[in-house]
Amino acid sequence: MATKLVTIAFDVMGSDHGPAEVVRGAAQLSLESPHIHTLLVGDRAVIDNALAETKHNGERISVQHASEQISMDEKPGEALARKPDASVSVAARLVAEGEADALVSAGNTGACVLSCARHFQLLPGVRRAALASVYPTRARRGDKDDPFSLILDVGATVEATADDLVTFAVMGAAYARIISRNENPKVALLSNGTEPNKGPRQVVEAHARLAGLPGLQFIGNVEGVDIPKGTADVVVTDGFVGNVCLKMLEGVHETVVELAQYAYKESLRWRAGLAMLSGGIQRIKDVTDWEQYGGAPVLGFDRIFIKAHGRSKSRAIANAGKVAAKAVSHELGKAIQEGLAR
Amino acid sequence: MSLPDRIDPRPPRRIYRWDLDKTYLQTEFDSLRDLLRTAFQKAHEKQAVPGASALIRELAANGDTRLCIVSGSPKQMRSVLEEKLKLDGVVWDEFVLKDNVGNLMRGRFRALRGQVGYKLPAIMESRANAPVEAEEVLFGDDAEADAFIYSLYADMIAGRVDERVLNQILEAAAVYPDEAERVRTAWKKIPVSDPVRRIFIHLDRLTPPAHFANYGPRVVPIFNYFQAALVLLADGHLTAPQVIKIAVEMVQTAGHNIITLSNSFQDLLRRGLPLQHAAAALVQALEGPNALLQALRPVPDIISAFTKRLAALGTPPPPPPVQAVDYLDLIHHALPRTHKARKTH
Repeated sequence: MATKLVTIAFDVMGSDHGPAEVVRGAAQLSLESPHIHTLLVGDRAVIDNALAETKHNGERISVQHASEQISMDEKPGEALARKPDASVSVAARLVAEGEADALVSAGNTGACVLSCARHFQLLPGVRRAALASVYPTRARRGDKDDPFSLILDVGATVEATADDLVTFAVMGAAYARIISRNENPKVALLSNGTEPNKGPRQVVEAHARLAGLPGLQFIGNVEGVDIPKGTADVVVTDGFVGNVCLKMLEGVHETVVELAQYAYKESLRWRAGLAMLSGGIQRIKDVTDWEQYGGAPVLGFDRIFIKAHGRSKSRAIANAGKVAAKAVSHELGKAIQEGLAR
Repeated sequence: MSLPDRIDPRPPRRIYRWDLDKTYLQTEFDSLRDLLRTAFQKAHEKQAVPGASALIRELAANGDTRLCIVSGSPKQMRSVLEEKLKLDGVVWDEFVLKDNVGNLMRGRFRALRGQVGYKLPAIMESRANAPVEAEEVLFGDDAEADAFIYSLYADMIAGRVDERVLNQILEAAAVYPDEAERVRTAWKKIPVSDPVRRIFIHLDRLTPPAHFANYGPRVVPIFNYFQAALVLLADGHLTAPQVIKIAVEMVQTAGHNIITLSNSFQDLLRRGLPLQHAAAALVQALEGPNALLQALRPVPDIISAFTKRLAALGTPPPPPPVQAVDYLDLIHHALPRTHKARKTH
């Protein structure tokens, strides 16, 4: 069966590393994936300068000029109102109009989500979109031996109702099935105890409803300690708690790296110890290499949006494009709708 | 019509010079296995680059043209290569192949891989026999020294390169004395004129286009022959219906589609090639009756794709400036690459 052609729109202007890094990622994609076409949205001159210096396949890349951009520190609502030709907004509009099948951006998360909310439609049955994130775990899952779990929401919906939490569970499971090829992902609610009656009212209510939902492997509640263990493949929570968890995971990772650097500098004995562990450390680094995952989705819209990390380099951008193409090819939106209809 | 007109063939108005491997034929010779496979391939097993034969046929259909092929393939392959060209309906006027066995027998090992000492005298000698008013378009690829040799050739016959610079180039390229002498002898026979309109470089290795910026706007790197056809439409060598025929062949035989073609069109616009009028001519030709195109895809979709790619850019960028080429600075482009350099390129 011929692979379906997919066009991915890239918001070129948002990355911490500048537009050239996103262009290089798209260029890499044009060489590696013949069925993926890219639409680069941003300042044409900047894109062309970067593209001219980069090995790419010109048959698989097109450019849409956008004269404005939103930086990381701008307030999303105000910035989008002030800059109607911002690259992220133009890219979202093009996806909504069918010029591209999905959007990838490494830019200001708030502006990205707001642009999607303005241009895309929520799927029937979805009240609020959820921003999902992947995080490395001890356990592995799916056909691909995926070392990542999914947590959602991590910031799009600060206060989620029981309805929202159930929807998030269905959407997260559909995503894990398609992207991690995990046919029957384990879904859990994040709470302060594993008992069904533990946690705030909406969590208790969501627990009761998820327990009776067909087609979903709901394993009940998990606690914070279960997140890095990978007890569940999909962890469901509201945007406030999810964001705190995610930032803590990132903080722990950075602290561990800093401690290792400190140990390396501090004493010859510790350095020797680290050297002996270098193979294992490299393995951990490989396993937790978030760049291979590319990005995380905003789930709930009728179009695919993958939010790449602001610090994404070209490889992560290319992988985000591949994840987006996979979500399009496997009709993620349709899978979510089928899950919600049950 | 006068009697001489009926008896003598009319002198060519346009000369198209082609390389063969990686320009016309999809050839791999990066490894010994590739070389052996290429050497033993039968004519029907050889694959032409999509659109190349259609482009050559359409250019020839306009009459008063010459097709001159100078290839680095060994003379021993002549019969199979000629058979392949005939299978593709390509009619040539000159077909020069490299005497690799002769070079080997004479111990001229530099000549086996060197391109300047082989191609430059061959095309200079061909030009010496051409009418002064015949304009030229040249086709090469990014695997060897084509952009360098073709540009040098164009600037030599236009009087923009002096003998001192030529001698330095020939020395840097380690050209054998007899080959250098052939270049000088042919050059003396050629009246000064400026006939080379375009040099197309097929990006077989997907070399970034900026790599060729130092050669000026005359050199146009292309990802496919639809791009060459668009530029030749703008330059007046092809008509819009002919370009459509080339595109249709690429769609039917090589898996191209409306996205790859419209992206290719936009890629040239972004590099500053003045294609707006060519695009308008193409749209006009598409609006005419064309059952074949209708069968492939509704014509409004095709027009819409091209129009959107054009509009997406806002104000088109200015064309790149014409500049003098510093051949001594670019001589490394003409030297045979080592295996390591090839990998890192």
